[in-house]
Amino acid sequence: MTSTTPSAVDDNKGQHWGAALEGIKDALRLPAWVVAAALIGVGPLAQAVGHPIGAAMASTVFVWAGPAQVLFYGGLGSGMAYPALAFVIGLSSMRFLPMTMTIMQMLRRPNQSILTQFAIAHFVTVTVWAECLRRLPDMRVDDRIPYFFGFGVTCLVLSTFSTAFGFVLAGAVPIHFAAGLLFLTPVFFTCSISAGARDLPDWLAIGMGAVLEPLALHFAGPEFDLLVTGLVGGTVAFMIKMNRRTRVGTVG
Amino acid sequence: MIEMLAPYALMLVVAAVPTGIWRAGAVVLSRSISSQSLVFEWVRFVATALLAGVVAKLLANPSGALALAPDWGRLGAVVAAFAAFLAFRRSVFAGVLTGETILILSVYFTQP
Repeated sequence: MTSTTPSAVDDNKGQHWGAALEGIKDALRLPAWVVAAALIGVGPLAQAVGHPIGAAMASTVFVWAGPAQVLFYGGLGSGMAYPALAFVIGLSSMRFLPMTMTIMQMLRRPNQSILTQFAIAHFVTVTVWAECLRRLPDMRVDDRIPYFFGFGVTCLVLSTFSTAFGFVLAGAVPIHFAAGLLFLTPVFFTCSISAGARDLPDWLAIGMGAVLEPLALHFAGPEFDLLVTGLVGGTVAFMIKMNRRTRVGTVG
Repeated sequence: MIEMLAPYALMLVVAAVPTGIWRAGAVVLSRSISSQSLVFEWVRFVATALLAGVVAKLLANPSGALALAPDWGRLGAVVAAFAAFLAFRRSVFAGVLTGETILILSVYFTQP
Protein backbone atom coordinates (compact mmCIF):
# COMPACT_ATOMS: atom_id res chain seq x y z
CA MET A 1 0.00 0.00 0.00
CA THR A 2 3.00 2.28 0.52
CA SER A 3 4.20 2.06 -3.08
CA THR A 4 2.10 4.38 -5.17
CA THR A 5 2.25 2.86 -8.63
CA PRO A 6 0.69 -0.58 -8.03
CA SER A 7 -2.04 0.77 -5.78
CA ALA A 8 -2.89 3.42 -8.39
CA VAL A 9 -3.26 0.66 -10.97
CA ASP A 10 -5.38 -1.39 -8.57
CA ASP A 11 -7.61 1.59 -7.83
CA ASN A 12 -8.10 2.05 -11.51
CA LYS A 13 -9.10 -1.58 -11.93
CA GLY A 14 -11.42 -1.31 -8.97
CA GLN A 15 -13.08 1.69 -10.54
CA HIS A 16 -13.67 -0.18 -13.79
CA TRP A 17 -15.34 -3.02 -11.93
CA GLY A 18 -17.23 -0.48 -9.90
CA ALA A 19 -18.55 1.16 -13.05
CA ALA A 20 -19.49 -2.23 -14.53
CA LEU A 21 -21.32 -3.06 -11.30
CA GLU A 22 -23.16 0.28 -11.45
CA GLY A 23 -24.25 -0.64 -14.98
CA ILE A 24 -25.54 -4.02 -13.80
CA LYS A 25 -27.38 -2.40 -10.88
CA ASP A 26 -28.96 0.33 -13.01
CA ALA A 27 -30.08 -2.25 -15.57
CA LEU A 28 -31.68 -4.42 -12.88
CA ARG A 29 -33.52 -1.43 -11.42
CA LEU A 30 -36.02 -1.52 -14.31
CA PRO A 31 -34.70 -1.35 -17.90
CA ALA A 32 -33.43 -4.96 -18.12
CA TRP A 33 -36.81 -6.25 -16.88
CA VAL A 34 -38.58 -4.17 -19.53
CA VAL A 35 -36.47 -5.54 -22.39
CA ALA A 36 -36.78 -9.03 -20.94
CA ALA A 37 -40.57 -8.69 -20.72
CA ALA A 38 -40.69 -7.42 -24.31
CA LEU A 39 -38.75 -10.48 -25.51
CA ILE A 40 -40.99 -12.99 -23.71
CA GLY A 41 -43.23 -12.66 -26.77
CA VAL A 42 -40.56 -14.00 -29.13
CA GLY A 43 -40.64 -17.42 -27.45
CA PRO A 44 -44.22 -18.37 -28.37
CA LEU A 45 -43.70 -17.13 -31.95
CA ALA A 46 -40.66 -19.36 -32.41
CA GLN A 47 -42.53 -22.26 -30.86
CA ALA A 48 -45.44 -21.70 -33.26
CA VAL A 49 -43.23 -22.14 -36.36
CA GLY A 50 -41.65 -25.29 -34.91
CA HIS A 51 -38.18 -23.93 -34.18
CA PRO A 52 -36.29 -25.29 -31.15
CA ILE A 53 -36.01 -23.34 -27.89
CA GLY A 54 -32.27 -22.95 -28.46
CA ALA A 55 -32.86 -21.09 -31.73
CA ALA A 56 -35.31 -18.73 -30.02
CA MET A 57 -32.71 -17.98 -27.32
CA ALA A 58 -29.96 -17.61 -29.93
CA SER A 59 -32.11 -15.09 -31.81
CA THR A 60 -32.13 -12.88 -28.71
CA VAL A 61 -28.35 -13.17 -28.37
CA PHE A 62 -27.49 -12.61 -32.04
CA VAL A 63 -30.30 -10.43 -33.41
CA TRP A 64 -30.88 -8.54 -30.16
CA ALA A 65 -33.75 -6.50 -31.58
CA GLY A 66 -37.32 -7.33 -30.50
CA PRO A 67 -39.16 -6.02 -33.59
CA ALA A 68 -36.74 -7.82 -35.96
CA GLN A 69 -37.23 -11.11 -34.08
CA VAL A 70 -41.01 -10.70 -34.07
CA LEU A 71 -40.92 -9.98 -37.81
CA PHE A 72 -38.71 -13.00 -38.40
CA TYR A 73 -40.85 -15.59 -36.63
CA GLY A 74 -44.10 -13.86 -37.59
CA GLY A 75 -42.98 -13.72 -41.23
CA LEU A 76 -41.96 -17.39 -41.25
CA GLY A 77 -45.37 -18.20 -39.82
CA SER A 78 -47.17 -16.34 -42.59
CA GLY A 79 -44.98 -18.03 -45.24
CA MET A 80 -43.03 -14.98 -46.44
CA ALA A 81 -40.17 -15.58 -48.91
CA TYR A 82 -36.76 -15.41 -47.18
CA PRO A 83 -35.28 -12.54 -49.26
CA ALA A 84 -38.41 -10.40 -48.76
CA LEU A 85 -38.32 -11.18 -45.06
CA ALA A 86 -34.63 -10.25 -44.80
CA PHE A 87 -35.38 -6.97 -46.60
CA VAL A 88 -38.25 -6.01 -44.29
CA ILE A 89 -36.16 -6.91 -41.23
CA GLY A 90 -33.30 -4.78 -42.58
CA LEU A 91 -35.63 -1.80 -42.94
CA SER A 92 -37.05 -2.29 -39.46
CA SER A 93 -33.53 -2.31 -38.00
CA MET A 94 -32.41 0.89 -39.73
CA ARG A 95 -33.01 2.76 -36.47
CA PHE A 96 -29.80 1.20 -35.13
CA LEU A 97 -27.71 3.34 -37.46
CA PRO A 98 -28.38 6.72 -35.77
CA MET A 99 -28.64 5.09 -32.33
CA THR A 100 -25.33 3.27 -32.59
CA MET A 101 -23.64 6.40 -33.95
CA THR A 102 -24.68 8.41 -30.87
CA ILE A 103 -23.42 5.65 -28.58
CA MET A 104 -20.12 5.43 -30.48
CA GLN A 105 -19.60 9.16 -30.09
CA MET A 106 -19.72 8.75 -26.30
CA LEU A 107 -17.78 5.49 -26.01
CA ARG A 108 -15.03 5.61 -28.56
CA ARG A 109 -11.47 6.20 -27.39
CA PRO A 110 -8.25 6.91 -29.23
CA ASN A 111 -6.62 3.69 -30.53
CA GLN A 112 -9.67 1.61 -29.72
CA SER A 113 -9.78 -1.49 -31.92
CA ILE A 114 -12.63 -1.83 -34.39
CA LEU A 115 -13.48 -5.20 -32.81
CA THR A 116 -14.14 -3.50 -29.46
CA GLN A 117 -16.33 -1.03 -31.31
CA PHE A 118 -18.27 -3.80 -33.05
CA ALA A 119 -18.75 -5.44 -29.65
CA ILE A 120 -20.09 -2.17 -28.23
CA ALA A 121 -22.37 -1.74 -31.23
CA HIS A 122 -23.86 -5.20 -30.84
CA PHE A 123 -25.35 -4.32 -27.45
CA VAL A 124 -27.11 -1.21 -28.75
CA THR A 125 -30.83 -1.61 -28.57
CA VAL A 126 -33.51 1.00 -28.02
CA THR A 127 -33.66 0.60 -24.25
CA VAL A 128 -29.89 0.54 -23.84
CA TRP A 129 -29.60 3.56 -26.10
CA ALA A 130 -32.25 5.65 -24.36
CA GLU A 131 -30.88 4.90 -20.88
CA CYS A 132 -27.22 5.38 -21.77
CA LEU A 133 -27.96 8.59 -23.66
CA ARG A 134 -28.93 10.30 -20.44
CA ARG A 135 -26.55 8.53 -18.05
CA LEU A 136 -23.24 8.40 -19.95
CA PRO A 137 -22.62 12.14 -20.49
CA ASP A 138 -22.36 12.81 -16.72
CA MET A 139 -19.94 9.92 -16.28
CA ARG A 140 -16.13 9.86 -16.34
CA VAL A 141 -14.96 8.85 -19.81
CA ASP A 142 -13.02 5.84 -18.42
CA ASP A 143 -16.09 4.55 -16.58
CA ARG A 144 -18.38 4.67 -19.59
CA ILE A 145 -17.32 1.48 -21.39
CA PRO A 146 -17.42 -0.84 -18.34
CA TYR A 147 -20.73 0.75 -17.34
CA PHE A 148 -22.12 0.21 -20.84
CA PHE A 149 -21.06 -3.44 -20.98
CA GLY A 150 -22.40 -4.09 -17.47
CA PHE A 151 -25.71 -2.57 -18.49
CA GLY A 152 -25.90 -4.20 -21.94
CA VAL A 153 -24.83 -7.71 -20.91
CA THR A 154 -27.34 -7.72 -18.03
CA CYS A 155 -30.18 -6.76 -20.39
CA LEU A 156 -29.14 -9.40 -22.92
CA VAL A 157 -28.68 -12.26 -20.46
CA LEU A 158 -31.97 -11.61 -18.68
CA SER A 159 -33.77 -11.35 -22.04
CA THR A 160 -32.29 -14.61 -23.30
CA PHE A 161 -33.84 -16.38 -20.32
CA SER A 162 -37.14 -14.55 -20.73
CA THR A 163 -37.31 -15.67 -24.38
CA ALA A 164 -36.93 -19.26 -23.17
CA PHE A 165 -39.53 -18.59 -20.48
CA GLY A 166 -41.98 -17.34 -23.14
CA PHE A 167 -41.28 -20.41 -25.27
CA VAL A 168 -42.19 -22.73 -22.40
CA LEU A 169 -45.13 -20.61 -21.27
CA ALA A 170 -46.58 -20.09 -24.81
CA GLY A 171 -49.95 -18.50 -24.31
CA ALA A 172 -50.68 -19.55 -20.74
CA VAL A 173 -50.94 -15.95 -19.44
CA PRO A 174 -54.36 -14.29 -18.88
CA ILE A 175 -55.17 -11.92 -21.72
CA HIS A 176 -54.98 -8.65 -19.73
CA PHE A 177 -51.50 -9.51 -18.51
CA ALA A 178 -50.47 -10.42 -22.06
CA ALA A 179 -51.68 -6.96 -23.15
CA GLY A 180 -49.76 -5.42 -20.25
CA LEU A 181 -46.56 -7.17 -21.35
CA LEU A 182 -46.91 -5.77 -24.87
CA PHE A 183 -47.64 -2.31 -23.48
CA LEU A 184 -44.39 -2.28 -21.47
CA THR A 185 -42.25 -1.33 -24.45
CA PRO A 186 -44.19 1.77 -25.60
CA VAL A 187 -44.82 3.04 -22.06
CA PHE A 188 -41.21 2.53 -21.03
CA PHE A 189 -39.88 4.25 -24.16
CA THR A 190 -42.22 7.21 -23.58
CA CYS A 191 -40.87 7.76 -20.07
CA SER A 192 -37.29 6.88 -20.91
CA ILE A 193 -36.88 9.33 -23.83
CA SER A 194 -38.74 12.00 -21.86
CA ALA A 195 -36.28 11.52 -19.01
CA GLY A 196 -33.47 12.26 -21.45
CA ALA A 197 -35.06 15.47 -22.83
CA ARG A 198 -33.15 18.56 -21.74
CA ASP A 199 -34.42 21.50 -23.79
CA LEU A 200 -37.13 22.60 -26.19
CA PRO A 201 -35.61 21.02 -29.34
CA ASP A 202 -35.44 17.66 -27.51
CA TRP A 203 -39.14 17.87 -26.66
CA LEU A 204 -39.87 18.97 -30.23
CA ALA A 205 -38.10 15.91 -31.64
CA ILE A 206 -40.20 13.66 -29.38
CA GLY A 207 -43.47 15.49 -30.10
CA MET A 208 -42.90 15.63 -33.83
CA GLY A 209 -41.96 11.97 -33.98
CA ALA A 210 -45.25 11.04 -32.33
CA VAL A 211 -47.35 13.38 -34.51
CA LEU A 212 -45.59 12.73 -37.81
CA GLU A 213 -45.72 8.94 -37.65
CA PRO A 214 -49.41 8.52 -38.62
CA LEU A 215 -48.93 11.02 -41.46
CA ALA A 216 -45.78 9.28 -42.65
CA LEU A 217 -47.55 5.92 -42.47
CA HIS A 218 -50.26 7.30 -44.74
CA PHE A 219 -47.95 8.93 -47.29
CA ALA A 220 -44.81 6.76 -47.19
CA GLY A 221 -46.30 3.35 -46.34
CA PRO A 222 -45.49 0.87 -43.56
CA GLU A 223 -41.89 0.19 -44.69
CA PHE A 224 -40.60 3.73 -44.80
CA ASP A 225 -42.82 5.58 -42.32
CA LEU A 226 -40.33 5.46 -39.43
CA LEU A 227 -37.43 6.53 -41.62
CA VAL A 228 -39.41 9.56 -42.89
CA THR A 229 -40.61 10.37 -39.37
CA GLY A 230 -37.07 10.29 -37.99
CA LEU A 231 -35.50 12.28 -40.81
CA VAL A 232 -38.16 15.00 -40.97
CA GLY A 233 -38.83 15.35 -37.22
CA GLY A 234 -35.18 15.05 -36.28
CA THR A 235 -33.94 17.50 -38.90
CA VAL A 236 -36.50 20.16 -37.98
CA ALA A 237 -35.62 19.85 -34.27
CA PHE A 238 -31.92 20.00 -35.15
CA MET A 239 -32.39 23.16 -37.24
CA ILE A 240 -34.29 24.85 -34.42
CA LYS A 241 -31.50 23.93 -32.03
CA MET A 242 -28.86 25.40 -34.39
CA ASN A 243 -30.94 28.51 -34.93
CA ARG A 244 -31.28 29.12 -31.18
CA ARG A 245 -27.59 28.53 -30.64
CA THR A 246 -26.63 31.06 -33.33
CA ARG A 247 -28.97 33.65 -31.86
CA VAL A 248 -27.62 33.12 -28.37
CA GLY A 249 -24.15 33.37 -29.88
CA THR A 250 -24.82 36.74 -31.54
CA VAL A 251 -26.50 38.22 -28.47
CA GLY A 252 -23.85 36.96 -26.07
CA MET B 1 -27.63 -32.80 -38.32
CA ILE B 2 -27.95 -30.18 -41.07
CA GLU B 3 -31.71 -30.11 -40.55
CA MET B 4 -31.22 -29.51 -36.85
CA LEU B 5 -29.05 -26.50 -37.59
CA ALA B 6 -31.36 -25.01 -40.23
CA PRO B 7 -33.42 -22.86 -37.80
CA TYR B 8 -30.19 -21.35 -36.42
CA ALA B 9 -28.70 -20.68 -39.87
CA LEU B 10 -31.94 -19.15 -41.10
CA MET B 11 -32.13 -16.89 -38.05
CA LEU B 12 -28.54 -15.74 -38.57
CA VAL B 13 -28.89 -15.02 -42.30
CA VAL B 14 -32.43 -13.64 -42.46
CA ALA B 15 -32.61 -11.77 -39.12
CA ALA B 16 -29.19 -11.27 -37.48
CA VAL B 17 -27.29 -10.08 -40.56
CA PRO B 18 -29.87 -7.52 -41.81
CA THR B 19 -29.95 -6.09 -38.26
CA GLY B 20 -26.22 -6.22 -37.55
CA ILE B 21 -25.40 -4.44 -40.81
CA TRP B 22 -26.71 -1.15 -39.38
CA ARG B 23 -24.80 -1.46 -36.13
CA ALA B 24 -21.58 -2.31 -37.96
CA GLY B 25 -22.23 0.42 -40.52
CA ALA B 26 -22.59 2.95 -37.71
CA VAL B 27 -19.20 1.92 -36.31
CA VAL B 28 -17.52 2.34 -39.69
CA LEU B 29 -19.22 5.70 -40.34
CA SER B 30 -18.44 7.02 -36.86
CA ARG B 31 -14.73 6.32 -37.25
CA SER B 32 -14.44 8.94 -39.97
CA ILE B 33 -16.39 11.66 -38.15
CA SER B 34 -14.93 13.86 -35.40
CA SER B 35 -16.79 13.37 -32.12
CA GLN B 36 -17.28 17.15 -31.97
CA SER B 37 -19.06 17.06 -35.32
CA LEU B 38 -22.59 18.41 -35.55
CA VAL B 39 -23.46 15.28 -37.54
CA PHE B 40 -23.73 13.41 -34.23
CA GLU B 41 -26.10 15.98 -32.83
CA TRP B 42 -28.31 15.76 -35.93
CA VAL B 43 -28.23 11.97 -35.79
CA ARG B 44 -29.29 12.04 -32.14
CA PHE B 45 -32.36 14.14 -33.02
CA VAL B 46 -33.21 11.79 -35.89
CA ALA B 47 -32.97 8.79 -33.54
CA THR B 48 -35.13 10.54 -30.92
CA ALA B 49 -37.88 11.45 -33.40
CA LEU B 50 -37.71 7.95 -34.87
CA LEU B 51 -38.14 6.37 -31.45
CA ALA B 52 -41.13 8.59 -30.66
CA GLY B 53 -42.50 7.40 -34.00
CA VAL B 54 -41.98 3.77 -32.96
CA VAL B 55 -44.04 4.41 -29.82
CA ALA B 56 -46.83 6.10 -31.82
CA LYS B 57 -46.86 3.19 -34.25
CA LEU B 58 -47.02 0.55 -31.49
CA LEU B 59 -49.94 2.38 -29.87
CA ALA B 60 -51.89 3.23 -33.04
CA ASN B 61 -51.45 -0.20 -34.68
CA PRO B 62 -51.20 -2.59 -31.74
CA SER B 63 -50.46 -6.25 -32.31
CA GLY B 64 -51.49 -9.38 -30.46
CA ALA B 65 -53.14 -9.02 -27.08
CA LEU B 66 -52.52 -5.26 -26.97
CA ALA B 67 -55.04 -4.90 -29.82
CA LEU B 68 -57.69 -6.09 -27.34
CA ALA B 69 -57.24 -2.93 -25.27
CA PRO B 70 -59.72 -0.20 -26.23
CA ASP B 71 -58.30 2.91 -27.98
CA TRP B 72 -59.05 5.04 -24.90
CA GLY B 73 -57.25 2.49 -22.75
CA ARG B 74 -53.99 2.68 -24.73
CA LEU B 75 -54.10 6.45 -25.19
CA GLY B 76 -55.27 7.12 -21.63
CA ALA B 77 -52.61 4.81 -20.20
CA VAL B 78 -49.75 6.49 -22.03
CA VAL B 79 -51.01 10.02 -21.18
CA ALA B 80 -51.42 9.03 -17.52
CA ALA B 81 -47.95 7.46 -17.56
CA PHE B 82 -46.45 10.70 -18.84
CA ALA B 83 -48.37 12.76 -16.25
CA ALA B 84 -47.20 10.47 -13.43
CA PHE B 85 -43.66 10.59 -14.77
CA LEU B 86 -43.72 14.42 -14.53
CA ALA B 87 -45.60 14.50 -11.22
CA PHE B 88 -43.07 12.21 -9.53
CA ARG B 89 -40.09 14.35 -10.52
CA ARG B 90 -39.32 12.54 -13.77
CA SER B 91 -39.60 9.04 -12.35
CA VAL B 92 -39.60 6.43 -15.13
CA PHE B 93 -40.75 3.82 -12.63
CA ALA B 94 -43.81 5.83 -11.53
CA GLY B 95 -44.72 6.44 -15.16
CA VAL B 96 -44.46 2.80 -16.21
CA LEU B 97 -46.36 1.58 -13.13
CA THR B 98 -49.24 4.05 -13.67
CA GLY B 99 -49.51 3.33 -17.39
CA GLU B 100 -49.43 -0.43 -16.90
CA THR B 101 -52.10 -0.32 -14.18
CA ILE B 102 -54.50 1.65 -16.35
CA LEU B 103 -53.89 -0.46 -19.43
CA ILE B 104 -54.31 -3.79 -17.65
CA LEU B 105 -57.53 -2.56 -15.98
CA SER B 106 -58.89 -1.29 -19.32
CA VAL B 107 -58.47 -4.75 -20.84
CA TYR B 108 -59.73 -6.54 -17.73
CA PHE B 109 -62.98 -4.57 -17.66
CA THR B 110 -63.72 -4.50 -21.39
CA GLN B 111 -62.98 -8.11 -22.26
CA PRO B 112 -65.76 -10.58 -21.42
